[in-house]
This record gives sequence, C-alpha cells and structure tokens, in this order.
Amino acid sequence: MDIVMLHPSHIPHVQTCNITNLPENYFAKYYLYHALTWPQLSYVAIDLSKPPRSKHDPPKIVGYVLAKMEEEPVDGVPHGHITSLSVMRTHRRLGLAEKLMRQSQKAMVETFGAKYVSLHVRVSNKAALRLYKDTLQFEVEKVESKYYADGEDAFSMKQDLGFIWDKVKADDDALKIDDKKVEGEGAGDEDEGDPVGDEGQEDKKKKEVMRKVKIGRALGVSDLVEKVEQPKAAS
Amino acid sequence: MPSAHPLASKEASLFRNVLKFYETKQYKKGLKAAEQILKKNPKHGETLAMKGLLINCQGKTEEAFVIAKEALKQDMKSHVCWHVYGLLYRSQKNFDEAIKAYKMALRFEPESQQILRDLALLQIQMRDYNGYIESRRLMVMSKPQIRQNWTGLAIAYHLAGNLAEAENVLTKYEETLKQPPPKSDLENSEAILYKNYVIAESGDYQKALDHLETISRIAVDRVAVLEARAEYHLQLGKNEDAEKAYRVLLDRNQEKRSYYAGLEKSLGLEGDARLKIYEELAEQYPRADAPKRIPLDFQEGDAFKAVAEKYLEWRLKRAAPSTFTSLKALYGDVPKRECLQSLVEEFLAKTRAEKPAENGDKLTNGSATANNSVLIYTLYYLSQHHDHWRIRDTDKALSYINEALELAPDNADQGELRLGLARILKHAGDVQKAMEEMDSARQKDKSDRYYNTKCAKYMLRNDCNEEAIKTMGLFTRNDVNGPLGDLLEMQCVWYITEDGESYVRQGKFGLALKRFHAIYKIFEDWTDDQFDFHSFSLRKGMIRAYIEMVRWEDSLWSHPFFRRAAINAIKIYLLLNDKPHLAHGSLANGNGEDAVDFESLSTADRKKAMKKAKREAQKQEKAAAEAAAKAKDERKGGEEKKQDDDPLGAKLAQTTEPLEKALMWLKPLLELSPSFLEGQTAGFDIYMKRKKYLLALKCLLASHNIAPEDPVVHEQIARFQIFLNSNPELSPTVKTIIDETFTIAPKESTLAQFNETYLSSNADSAKAAFSVIKTRQALASAEGSKSDSEGTDSETLLFEALKKDGTTLKDAVEGLAMLKEMKGEVGNYAEEARKRWPVANVFAAKA
Repeated sequence: MDIVMLHPSHIPHVQTCNITNLPENYFAKYYLYHALTWPQLSYVAIDLSKPPRSKHDPPKIVGYVLAKMEEEPVDGVPHGHITSLSVMRTHRRLGLAEKLMRQSQKAMVETFGAKYVSLHVRVSNKAALRLYKDTLQFEVEKVESKYYADGEDAFSMKQDLGFIWDKVKADDDALKIDDKKVEGEGAGDEDEGDPVGDEGQEDKKKKEVMRKVKIGRALGVSDLVEKVEQPKAAS
Repeated sequence: MPSAHPLASKEASLFRNVLKFYETKQYKKGLKAAEQILKKNPKHGETLAMKGLLINCQGKTEEAFVIAKEALKQDMKSHVCWHVYGLLYRSQKNFDEAIKAYKMALRFEPESQQILRDLALLQIQMRDYNGYIESRRLMVMSKPQIRQNWTGLAIAYHLAGNLAEAENVLTKYEETLKQPPPKSDLENSEAILYKNYVIAESGDYQKALDHLETISRIAVDRVAVLEARAEYHLQLGKNEDAEKAYRVLLDRNQEKRSYYAGLEKSLGLEGDARLKIYEELAEQYPRADAPKRIPLDFQEGDAFKAVAEKYLEWRLKRAAPSTFTSLKALYGDVPKRECLQSLVEEFLAKTRAEKPAENGDKLTNGSATANNSVLIYTLYYLSQHHDHWRIRDTDKALSYINEALELAPDNADQGELRLGLARILKHAGDVQKAMEEMDSARQKDKSDRYYNTKCAKYMLRNDCNEEAIKTMGLFTRNDVNGPLGDLLEMQCVWYITEDGESYVRQGKFGLALKRFHAIYKIFEDWTDDQFDFHSFSLRKGMIRAYIEMVRWEDSLWSHPFFRRAAINAIKIYLLLNDKPHLAHGSLANGNGEDAVDFESLSTADRKKAMKKAKREAQKQEKAAAEAAAKAKDERKGGEEKKQDDDPLGAKLAQTTEPLEKALMWLKPLLELSPSFLEGQTAGFDIYMKRKKYLLALKCLLASHNIAPEDPVVHEQIARFQIFLNSNPELSPTVKTIIDETFTIAPKESTLAQFNETYLSSNADSAKAAFSVIKTRQALASAEGSKSDSEGTDSETLLFEALKKDGTTLKDAVEGLAMLKEMKGEVGNYAEEARKRWPVANVFAAKA
C-alpha cells in the first residue's frame, strides 16, 4: 500500500472508489476543485498488488480522503473539513482510513493553521460512526436534521487538532536545526537565521495561528526530541 | 464605448442595465430591456449582439447566431459585437472561431481587459502557448502591480517549455516587493515554491537546493519543502543529507514507498544491510506495513521464507481480509508463491490446533472469537490463493471458502466471505451462481454500498442489465433522471462500461454504442473541466497543483478507462462495417432462441428480415420514448432535461459511416497511447478497410515493435502480405515505401509455411492457435479455395487449445465463438470444455 497526496491523475479512480463505497457522489470537477484549492489536504491509498502495465498507467486507488478548509467558517476559527473518506471493503482493517486522515490533518495545521477538523456522517452509518468516534477520536457536535438529499440526518462531528500542533511545533524546530546545519556547512548566508525571528514577530502581530508556531519555535532542542517520540508512542 | 450608432441617454442607460442583467444571469429581464431599446433602435448592433447572447443563455443557440450575425452586419467595428460572437462560439466549444472573434474584438478595443482575459483563457485551453504568452504579457503591462498577472506570464513560459524565462518573470515580480510578504501570505508561499519547482525542472539541483534553503521557512507546504530537499540532496549525491531528509519524511508517513526508495539510494544499501534497515524501521514504526512488506520483494529463498513468515503471521493474526491482496504481487514468482502457500498452511494447522480452547464462548455470545476470526481469514487467504489465475484450483478454493463460511457466525464476516465465494464462482465461469452469491452478500448488509456495487457488477456479468440498474438504483439519486441518469451524471465509468460490454455480448450493439459514447462524453467533460481552473487557480495561487492538472489533462485521453471503451466501440464499428444488418438487434446472430441466421438467407428474405427488424426497432423506440415521457410526468416539478431522441442507440448503430466513427475513437489512442498494442492493431484493421495502406502499415510496424510474437500481430502481418500478393493498384511512391519498410513478412518461405512455423513455435498458446486458424482462413479465401492447408485441421486445433495449460476460460469462450463461425461441431467442444470448466455457464448442456 502506498499513501500519497492526491494528484489530478488519480481522480478518475478516486471517483470510482467513492461511488463504489458511498452514497454521496461527486463529478470529477468537484475533486479537481479540492485538488487545486487545497492540494496538500487530500490523500489516496494506492493498491500495489498489480504492477502497472506501463509507467503512464494511473494507479488503482483503494482509499482516499478528500478534504478542504472551511472557506468561511461561521465561528471565525480556521478549520478543516472532511468532504469524503472511504476505503474499499477489500482493504479494510489495515488502518488505512486513519493513516490517510493523519496526513490530511497534519497538513491542515501546517499549511492552513486549522484548529480543528469537522465532518458529517449519516446517522445510520454505524460503521463510519465507529471509525470516526473510536478509531479517529472525533466527537459528535450536533445532529443536523435532513442534511442529506434523501432526508436523512447527519451527525456533525469534530476533532480538535491540538495534538497535531504539538507535533508540528516539534517538526518546525527540527527544521530549524537542519537549517542551521546547512548554513554552518557553507551555504554561506549567515544572516539566514535572523529573518525567521522577525517573521515570527510579524506573525505574532497578525494572527494567533502563527503565534502558536512561534511558541513552538521558541522551545528548546531537548523539548523537541521528546515531542517527536511522544506521538509515536501514542499511536 | 465608441459606437457607430450612439444611443440616446435613456437607451444608453437601458443598455447598461442589459449588461448588468447579463452579468447577474437575469436573462429574462435582460432580454426585456434589450427589446425596449430595439423598439426604438431596431438596427442597434450592440443591443442586437446582447440580445443574441441572452437568447443563447436560454438554450436557443441557432437563433442566437442569426441575431449575432445581424448585429455584426449593423456594426462591424464594435468590439461588443465581436466579443459576443466569440462568446457564442465559445459556448459551442468552437474555440478556434471564438479566438478569431476575440482577436477582432481586441482590434477595436485593445485596452479591454475582459476581452483579453477571455482570449487568454481560450488560448491556454487550446494550448496555444505563444498566443497565451502574448496575451499574458499584455496583461502584465497593463496591470503590473497584480501578482497574478506575473504568475500567469510565468506559467505561460513554463508550459511553453521556456523555464529560464518563467523563472525570470517570477524573480522580476519578487524584486518589486519592498518587504518580503509575511508567512501568512499563502499566495506568496505557493509562488516561491512554484519558482523552486521551475528551477528544479531545469535540472539545476544545486540552484534549486540553494533557493529552497532561502524559502523553506516561509513556505508553509511542509511536505513539499521536505520532499524537494530530499530529492535535491539525492540528485546532488549529498547522501548524508538525503538520508536525513528521507528519515524525516518517513517519520511523517511510513506508507509512502518512494521515501523508502530514496532512503535506500542515499544509503547505497546492498545485501544484508538492506534488510537490517527495514528491520530497524519496522521496530521503530510497529504499525507500519511497508517496512515489513518491502523485504518480501527483494529477499529470496530461505531469507524470503523468514521475512514472509513474520509478515504473514502479523497480518493473519489481525484477521485482515486483505492479506492476500498485499501479497498477490509476488505471485509471478513461483518459489515465492509456493513458499507462501506452505507458510499459510502451517499457520492454519497451528491455528486449528489452538482453536478448541476458545471454542466455548463462540456459541454463547454469537460472535466469532478472536481466534475464530483468525482461522476464518486464514482459510480465506488459502481460498484466494487457489483462486489466483496462475493457480486456479477452483475445487480447493471452494472448499476453503466453504469451511470459512461454516465458521463465520457473524453477518459482517459472512458478507465478506460470500463476496469471496462469488468471486471464485465468477472466475470459474458460473456467472449465474456468482451473481446469486453476491446478492446474498448484499443482503447481509443492505446499507453497504460496496456490496451493492459488486452485486450490480455481477448482474452485468450475467447480462442481467435490468436487475443491475435496479440494484444500483437503491443508492442513486432517482428523482431527476432515474438511476441511469444519475450514474451518467456522476460519471460512473465502471458501470457504464460494464453495461456496454454486456450489451456487446448480447449483440445489442446500439445500446452498447450508446454506453461507450457516454464514456466518450465523460472524457469530453473532463477535458472541459479544466477550463475554469485557468483563472481559478491564479486566484487561489496553487500553481504547482495547477501545472500538474494541465499536464494530466494533456494525457487524459490515454486513460485506461477511455482505452477500454475505445477498443469496444471500434470493434463494434468494424463489425457493423462488415455486417450492417447487425445494427438491428433482432438480426444479430446467435442471440435468443429465434434469432435469424441472416447470412444464410436469400436476398429477398434478407430484405424481408430487415424490414421486420426495422419495424420491431421502431416499436421498441416508441415504447422507450413513452416510458421516458411517463417517468417525466411522474416527477412533477423535477428538473427539466433534454429528451434523449435515441435512448436505445439505434441511430448510432445504423450509421452509414462506421469507419469514420471508429476513427474518432482511434485517434486519441494512436496519439496518446502509442505503446498500447490493442490500439495499434485496431488501427491496422480500420486503415485497411479504409484503404489507407501506409497508415495501416505504420500501425502494423508499431505493433510489431511492441510485441513481435503477439498472435494478432502475426495474423496482421500475414494479412498485409496477402493483400500485397493480390497485386493491388498502388501508386509507385506507396509501393516503394512499403517495399522499404515492410520487412517483417516472410521472405524465403510461403505464407502458409510462415503460419505453420508460428504455430509450432507457439504450441502452448491457445491465442496463437486462433491466430493461425484465422490466417489459414485468410489464405484460403485469397486463393479462392476452402481447403485447409497442411497440418492439423482447424477444428482439431481449437479442440486441442482447450487442453493447453495456459488456456483461460476467456480463451475457451473465444474458441467456441470461432467454432460457431466455422460451423464446426460445437457439442464435442462444449463437452471437452466442461471437463475443465465444469460450472461455466457458457458450456452448460442445454436442458
């Protein structure tokens, strides 16, 4: 199994995966809209059981998460939204849904500063509910009555992304270390280090989202190592 | 707005309203206002133009063009009239004409950003890069303060292949910035990453790396930065840095194979060291599949056994139904698949031995215990193993799956296993029972669309199209266009294709073509889909993703979804070219009990039969139209859609120019999938029938290049030589070219010898036998004799083909069809086939 970012060429097979598994379907352009607005947020799981006939052949998709940022959040808080997620029945119990979701959530935080992620699920869809609640730790926010075209209600669920912010902070610091090393090795630009701080300052003024990053960056190297290990142990 | 005929102030204000109504899509109001102006100024060109545009928006295209032309006649020098004229063409997707009209409009109004933008969009849609560069350049000049304009120009250069200029343009804009934009500026973050992408594409990785280091803190797409850094380090041979970068990436995502490949390369791994790295990673990331699975690809012998055992145990103990799927890729390797089999068998024995201890609570709580489900999915693995096409021992596969079914008390497991059972039956050719089993899987959980989908697919395989659409209808939106309409709208390619292939099997070529043309339409829509993104992506700033989209669109029509539909459609059109009567469903041979053997009829009877068929077809069409009308009445208030005037595809099938229609499908294949063998062989067939011999030869040479020993290629070589032997009238140039390039035909031997040599050197292939038989037939008909040439006679060949090791059920069915065509002894053949495929419905003895 290969888990990679959604590429436009994946779309026909993602569409097939979706209409095979789920009642909510979309035409290709809607997938393109996701892939071209928030390319970092959607991921696919690729089946490697058959080597492609030629390198131009698109891979077979057995699972995907199609995600976006809420464009005009009612609560004013930047957050992501899962438009659709599914895994072929033949590829269940591999933890694919979770792996896909984690990639997407991380990018929501890193690239778009999302605080939480929301989604809708049919009240009758016990399997999906179990996945979101138990495996992915989402919580039911409320019931949205008649959310679906056929009149069924939806659970509106969400998950706080605080746990990813911690990890992102750690990664950020790790990056900084790397940068310094590169500079030391002769990239030659000794001034490189400073603007980061300045930018951090600027961000602090502008957005709370960015201030978070700043705090992360301020953390010492020793804190970092632990942070990197922590999520691993938890998972 | 300089116009030849200025309006009075009241009308001028009305005209502005017309424009406003158009922009806000209030077409009726817009038309009303336009009419008001025209009452006083019936020859006012620009108002006429707007009227045409508004009418076009209401779907009356022809009328719109008439009015727009009239508008131009009144006011040749109005940019509005020309712009509208272009917009009308654009709405018809006649982009070439639209571009011409826009250019005329620009001539009269060079400053219009609106027209320039419309022109630019069409240019990029048509991949007129030079035109696009020019338009984009004008846009930068008129509004240099807007970043989008610079980025747009860079994209134009980039797509045109001028990477240096693309980079240059991006840099120029950056230089105009007094302060670097803040990190929160997403457009900037993406633009600088785009610039890095352009630099890397030029192959200067050092420059790309240096640039990357200056932007890595501002670029918020962390994955992109990390991946680029890893790749550049690797390309530059900075292995230590590359290794570090790949480890960071692996820490983010342990299921991306290219990270492992990168890590291996950076470490220069070989032999035991290779395995060791994976063992370490597997320990570091216990939940990851890849580090455990990858070593199975490169280990051999006992070393393979060791890693395979570990992997199998890990997977089987979690009772994952997909264990076999994860290992299937190894099945081309005989020792590996034999090793896997014995390992799973050992695991099964061990699990069975442990089982009784926990057996007690199985009955009490009604659900499988952990051990029980391990046992179930181990049995499931073995059933899939024996069902694999390289092994295909149906009896064993069935016995394993049946045992698993007996052990599975739980509905979820039952569903899963029944799915497996149905698959085995399908592979064995019992499409009827396979369908029934799949339906029983569906019944286990009716809310699961996956089961529902597979059930419909199996219904189609069994040619139960009505049941299939009804089943699909349980999950489609049925309020507007019914289930099929929804599937078409949702671009459900698999269903439409399978439905079409089922109609091919049933000889219902009209319906089949109808479906394949629906696939064609989907690809047209996917082509059109990109249009909006040419402007959208500039606004959103996600340029790298946009470039990837454009490149994907450039090769869109090479998609296997299209290829499959294309080959089907071409085969039908070739058939209809030879036997036009097949366009009438009821005259298709061998379908249904009272099918007419059209070709054996006398001319008079043929005419009669044709008439009758046409009458029947008319009746059917009428019924279909009535049903559609009725359905429409039933959904009152529903969305109105255009009536389909050919729901059964009869008009498609009765085309008078099947070869031209076939060409429409062939062109994308030859252009975008030149290494697709079936496309080239189809091209040969079409061009031969069109008497385009050089084009046919070109395809033949390409096929020969792809697969020199392919049975179809063999037959086509012979056919081309037979054609040349018949002394056709060819121009001297054509003759010379053929003489010089067609060197793959036998020189020394006769064609008959060539054919028999091919047979003996491909003695184990059923498809080769078919090819030899077809070649013999071609030779015989060329010589005007019916005598079979030397060697075993063709019927015996077909019979023997059944017994060859590699012969598949599909081959056997093809053999049967050939035998029928040859008017051979079908009974014996079917009896022999039943020995090998006892449950296959196609060979079942008629009760």
